[in-house]
Amino acid sequence: MSEYILKTNKLSKKYKHEFALENINVTIKQGDIYGFIGQNGAGKSTMLRLIIGLTFPTSGSIELFGNDNRNELTGVQKRMGAIIENPALFLNMTARENLEVHRLQKGIPGKECVDKTLELVGLKDTGKKKAKNFSLGMKQRLGLAIALLSDPEFIILDEPTNGLDPMGIVELRELIKKLNREKGLTVLISSHILSELHQLATKFGIIHKGKLLEELTSKELDEKCRQHLRIKVDDPTRGAIVLEQILFTTDFEVMQDGVIKLYSHIDDVRKVSQTLTNNGLVIEHLSQNGDSLESYFSKLVGGVEHD
Amino acid sequence: MTNLIRAELYKLSRNKTFWVLITSLTGFSALLHLLIILDWWQLSGTEFDKAQLSDLNALSTFTIPLFFNIIVSTLAGFYISTEFSQSGVIKNQMMSGNKRANIFMAKYLVFSLGAFIVTILIPLITAFILIIFFGQGDTLSPTNLMYLARAYGLFTLQFLSFTGIVLLIAIVTEDSGKTILFPLLLSIVMFAIEKLITVPFIKMMYENTIFYQFSEAFKYTLTSGEMIKSIFIGVISLIIIIFLGIFMVNRKEIK
Repeated sequence: MSEYILKTNKLSKKYKHEFALENINVTIKQGDIYGFIGQNGAGKSTMLRLIIGLTFPTSGSIELFGNDNRNELTGVQKRMGAIIENPALFLNMTARENLEVHRLQKGIPGKECVDKTLELVGLKDTGKKKAKNFSLGMKQRLGLAIALLSDPEFIILDEPTNGLDPMGIVELRELIKKLNREKGLTVLISSHILSELHQLATKFGIIHKGKLLEELTSKELDEKCRQHLRIKVDDPTRGAIVLEQILFTTDFEVMQDGVIKLYSHIDDVRKVSQTLTNNGLVIEHLSQNGDSLESYFSKLVGGVEHD
Repeated sequence: MTNLIRAELYKLSRNKTFWVLITSLTGFSALLHLLIILDWWQLSGTEFDKAQLSDLNALSTFTIPLFFNIIVSTLAGFYISTEFSQSGVIKNQMMSGNKRANIFMAKYLVFSLGAFIVTILIPLITAFILIIFFGQGDTLSPTNLMYLARAYGLFTLQFLSFTGIVLLIAIVTEDSGKTILFPLLLSIVMFAIEKLITVPFIKMMYENTIFYQFSEAFKYTLTSGEMIKSIFIGVISLIIIIFLGIFMVNRKEIK
């Protein structure tokens, strides 16, 4: 069996003469919370629609749970749940009736799962209230309930925090974390709220104009975003010794190109500079680096960087 | 497939339009039958007249394509099209792990059942109830019942193709208004061909469509050859429409 829940290989989607997605290679392992980051129109929703089979690729392939045969993909969708764009609801039905339709559709035995899922998303007490009278947040939660109804192994959430109030966002984040921790649920989540994704995802895919610019783990992202002093001196080995013996810090890295990344003394640039110079080192470069996720994303897609 | 049919039945049973149609058509049908049975409304020259079933003359209203078309397309507009447009719930169904062909078939079967109930069953049941209630039960002799069974059997066969066409239009247009309008236009075109066109080739083509067979089904005298032809047209049309529907649904990109 494949170690990947989802693997795409050179996945492309073309509308008329324009590529909505081009050669996308994404890999999601079991237990990952994969944050899909991109601007409006970057191709996030197209990608998610391709994965769940609402639309078809122009070229490339999708492997889900180790299957890449299109006929078998339909079958493995039973192991998935999804909300794409807006939650799709029968507005003239109650929350319970909405879930009942999906229970029947998916052939889930027993009605207990309906109550259990409604309780999980906090909609158990909505009674006879029709979905059309729900607030946006309640509709979002009902959409989530539909996605979670069959106890899926892999869930796809497209902008799930839309319409949720701050408390709702926190609750959703905690719920996803809980399901991921307790049931090993694999999650693919797209959002504009990068700070929200940063707190949740274990892996990120950054998409821009239909192309996957970067795929990195949260650890790698943290590394990239961590504030540090970037120092280039004529003798990196001696530089490292000076930092250790004079400044009493080991919180630094010497990169292969000789650049030293110093994670301490961020606010004490003058002291660092003086110490290095006083010890006979020539400073070729010294700057403060590190981004927030937003500015890192902006830099990557070539947008405006906000300090 | 059974799961999908159960889900569709559940949705149909909670569809407001379906219940509005049931209620209004029950009332309308009862009123028409009542007027005719009590001789307050004279309707003559129908096929039911020729079959000595004048008390059932009101049924002929429900067998006119232009009339039942409105009922069927209204149901399609508010039961099928809305799933594609307004709510977008079709997305959930398409990613439910069921084959698209099965999803189409479940929709077709349940939609056809709903359309059959409101268009054929309700007028027939109200007619039978009123006939018995007003002491005209002897109208329903075995010979007449045989005629009705044959006529409605053939009619239903053509009707099943018609519901398939309306379902296809609903899926393609994804809009309630267009779903009501386009079948209506189709029926008007067919009506115009029947009444106005004299070109032999077009006439011949038309006579081999379900639209012509709707009226043929109720002819009191029908030879075995005509009956076989009618069955043949109904079955072939049904097969073509179902295959076309499955082909389209399999290729459809869901917005």
